Amino acid sequence: MIFTLLILSSAIMAVLMVGTGQVRSNIIFYSFQTLLIALTTCVFAYVENEHKHYILALVIFIVKTMGLSLFLLWLTKRIGTARDTGTFLPHPLAMHLSVLLLIFAQILSCQLPHLSKLEDFSAGGTAGISLILTGILFMLTRRLAISQVLGFLTMENGIFLFALTQASGMPLFVEMGIFLDVFVAVMISGLLIFRIKHSFEHIDVTLLTSLKD
Amino acid sequence: MVSYIVYSIMILILPLLLMGFLQKIKAKLQNRIGAPLLQPFFNVLKLWNKTQILSEDASFLFRFGILLNFCIATYLILSVPWLNFSPMIMGLDLFLLVYLLAAARFFNILSALDTGSPFGAFSGSREAALSFLVEPSLVLCLLAPGLLINSNVMSEMFAFKTAVNSDNPAVWIFASLGLFITALVELSRMPVDDPNTHLELTMVHEAMIIEASGRNLALCEYSYALKLTLFFGLSVQCFLHAVSAFLPSNEWLTLFFSVIGMFFLAAVLAMLETVLVKLKWTKCPDFIAYALTMGMFACIVALRGRT
Amino acid sequence: MSLETIFWSAFLLPLLGALCAGLFSRSSLSGICAIVSSWMSLILLTYVLLPFLQSDKTVLFFSSLIVCSKLSAAFLLLTVLVVATALTQSYLFFQNEFKDGKLHQQKHICWFYSFSLLFLLAMMSVFVSENLGTLWISVEATSLLSAGLVYFSRTNHAIEATWKYLIICSVGIAFALLGTIFIFASSQYGAVEGGSLSFAILEAKSALLQPLLLKLGFIFCLVGYGTKSGVFPLHSWLPDAHSEAPAPASAMLSASLLNCALFAIFKVLKITNLSSCGISCDRACLWAGVITVLAASFFLIKQHGLKRLWAYSSIENVGLMMVAIGLGSAPIFFLQALNHSIVKVSLFCTAGNIIQICGTKELSHISGLLKISPLNAALLLLGGLAVTGTPPFGTFISEWMLLSLSVERHFAVVAVIILVSLTIAFIAIIYHIGRMLIGNVRIEKTNITSIKYSAIPLLLIIVSVALCFVIRPELLGEIK
Repeated sequence: MIFTLLILSSAIMAVLMVGTGQVRSNIIFYSFQTLLIALTTCVFAYVENEHKHYILALVIFIVKTMGLSLFLLWLTKRIGTARDTGTFLPHPLAMHLSVLLLIFAQILSCQLPHLSKLEDFSAGGTAGISLILTGILFMLTRRLAISQVLGFLTMENGIFLFALTQASGMPLFVEMGIFLDVFVAVMISGLLIFRIKHSFEHIDVTLLTSLKD
Repeated sequence: MVSYIVYSIMILILPLLLMGFLQKIKAKLQNRIGAPLLQPFFNVLKLWNKTQILSEDASFLFRFGILLNFCIATYLILSVPWLNFSPMIMGLDLFLLVYLLAAARFFNILSALDTGSPFGAFSGSREAALSFLVEPSLVLCLLAPGLLINSNVMSEMFAFKTAVNSDNPAVWIFASLGLFITALVELSRMPVDDPNTHLELTMVHEAMIIEASGRNLALCEYSYALKLTLFFGLSVQCFLHAVSAFLPSNEWLTLFFSVIGMFFLAAVLAMLETVLVKLKWTKCPDFIAYALTMGMFACIVALRGRT
Repeated sequence: MSLETIFWSAFLLPLLGALCAGLFSRSSLSGICAIVSSWMSLILLTYVLLPFLQSDKTVLFFSSLIVCSKLSAAFLLLTVLVVATALTQSYLFFQNEFKDGKLHQQKHICWFYSFSLLFLLAMMSVFVSENLGTLWISVEATSLLSAGLVYFSRTNHAIEATWKYLIICSVGIAFALLGTIFIFASSQYGAVEGGSLSFAILEAKSALLQPLLLKLGFIFCLVGYGTKSGVFPLHSWLPDAHSEAPAPASAMLSASLLNCALFAIFKVLKITNLSSCGISCDRACLWAGVITVLAASFFLIKQHGLKRLWAYSSIENVGLMMVAIGLGSAPIFFLQALNHSIVKVSLFCTAGNIIQICGTKELSHISGLLKISPLNAALLLLGGLAVTGTPPFGTFISEWMLLSLSVERHFAVVAVIILVSLTIAFIAIIYHIGRMLIGNVRIEKTNITSIKYSAIPLLLIIVSVALCFVIRPELLGEIK
């Protein structure tokens, strides 16, 4: 019960993130979302009695909830771009669309086979798929480079949640490798965003269209 | 019998007391001493005894609209279960509630237009736009508890009697949050409208009642207080239903929690009004969208629980 | 020294080289460091793997996570060879750039060498990982590290290309991660207690995997690794990255990185082989390849940049390799990769030289190459002929084998479509090359490079010709 609540509220945080154009609020919503995922992992570790998940939860909390969020906040402050005006879909409509995507995710996850011992965690499939879809929607409806990174991170959270609940977590070293890769990816794109700001004097990726066939 | 008496006292005292409390807390947060807690009572009394000045262009519609607004607010406060007691008038349908609110707003706008002042016109159009945006979320937030028990009668939805199934708390919490945001918009509070501003070009609600004076203004103020009580009460009731598993089933204790909850919401509102700035008018839909999202979540969870 | 120690030191060498190259502040020193470490690594790997390739053993076991099959051994050698030659060429390339005054920062070049070696290391670990998870981590690492190579020139175009490369590939690879999870989940339904990511176990228990999850897993992996390898609708990053990276880096990207992603698809496809959805997965791969070949050949017609031309030709070859994977033929997949990589390194290096001579990479601005630099002109022509699969080059053999195999497997339609696309590609490439070779000399300032800058492309072309005569189907039959 508490597990379902936790796991679905992380998906809800992602939905709420879509609704605002303030980059700072987006990052804070992302941070809450990962905090909830870390808590979910803790509860999962307690229920399954798997100690490796405690380590995972700790790493998520340190790397994502604190590290990446603070890095992105710092980046936003340095870049000085506070608001994402969005592309083809206004933010409120995008948020309502992502609510519909949540329903769609529920339908999809019902189609997937579930392991009997994981009956309680079927909401995890819903939340995972919903986070992935919301992340993609976020990337599609935003124009700032930093929002693209946030969308990617949301998507990655969804994949982690899906792995945790549908496959009771990947082996520890694989998860650690994935965290490392994601961390490095965000750092590299952060540096690249600085460079984009420096060279183009904006970080609007929809305006990066000089290369084409 | 006792509950009827308590209910009546609450209806008489609570609305204006909430207003006073709200203003007092806000003043404290802004490092002012502020008006006394009972100032709204004094205000209404003072206004009631003043002579009313009517615009020369105003027809009977002006006073009629204000009066009707007050009547509807009174009817709603008697029939909506905003406390944990059964309301005095039973059997209010949730759609009737929504339409009565819309009717009240319609006549309100009509009376604002009737005086022919330019402020009335633009604030009327703004009020209409806001209510148009917020109505779906109000319907969804109230519909979600209705879906749980397959009924659209308000007094049945909030009865503290129906069995709580496992998904219920989420429904009630979302409905509660949604109703609170809806209340901010319906009552023209801070992120969408600043109740303290007197720059005519930015205000919504204040400009609506700018032509009212004397008894008319007193009625306006009082019906506004009633609506505030109504929305806060509903929001608190939703929240109490969410945590009902942890609450003792004592009626009076629940009443105590309800009243405390409403004062708490007033304090939250005071704090929001201190920290937040008024949104740009074009950004208001972004904020109101959150109320609708909450309503959608509530309905989704309710439907998920049914299947 | 045991074989294992030598094998490990072949992995350690690029790492050490990367550290040294990053620490030096003189580009020539760090260049020499990179070249030596990559060639040394190649020699060591050859010493370990060549006997293995000739022996009867099927796998070389190093640890539970690192296992080398014959196919991966072959790819390992090819990748290190490609990177070593590209690095050697880049030493000359950067010297020339300095002479032209296009480069000012020695340190940037040191970083370039350092990143290339780390990139090499990531690619090597793709081929030896015995686990879907580590495979994914390595593939993601290749895109992160090669972003540093694309970024090299730090112009606006390069930054834009890097951004697109990084974000598109990362999202694509995220899908591959989802696919990996699906496959992991599919193994928990009775196949393995607690699930497994190991290729050996998954391939052995293929029939017991949950079919729906396996199919979903394969589709997501195909989309994910397909993005990385530039399969048609997901290829948009590839021409940008290839044309904005410095020429030797483009050579590495095109000739080794794409192989990595395709190798990942091949490994995933092998898991599905014995299950009930094996045939449909094969078909999906096959048709993805056919569509890519067809689309790329049309894209080739209207190209405006020299390196974009070769980028699209790479996409076309990726399509051919996908067809080979879809037909389930590891030898032809490797053969095509080998021939394509050799020719492509040569072509990109030549393209780098030509761009340095003419000062532009716009096809319409380059003309009269025959008069300016006959050697580069000849290399360009030979490379162009080789990449389109004309005899007597190695690519002819592999493409011919691919076509005959597809007819043998009753996919005549596929053969016809591939033939048509190859013809279109041939015409397009020869047309573009012809326009560059003949015509008036329109460039005032010419920076004629001596023969030493063209030595590596020339050698590779000769190797390609030699491959045509050396390769026999029997020789490759053992690669699995």
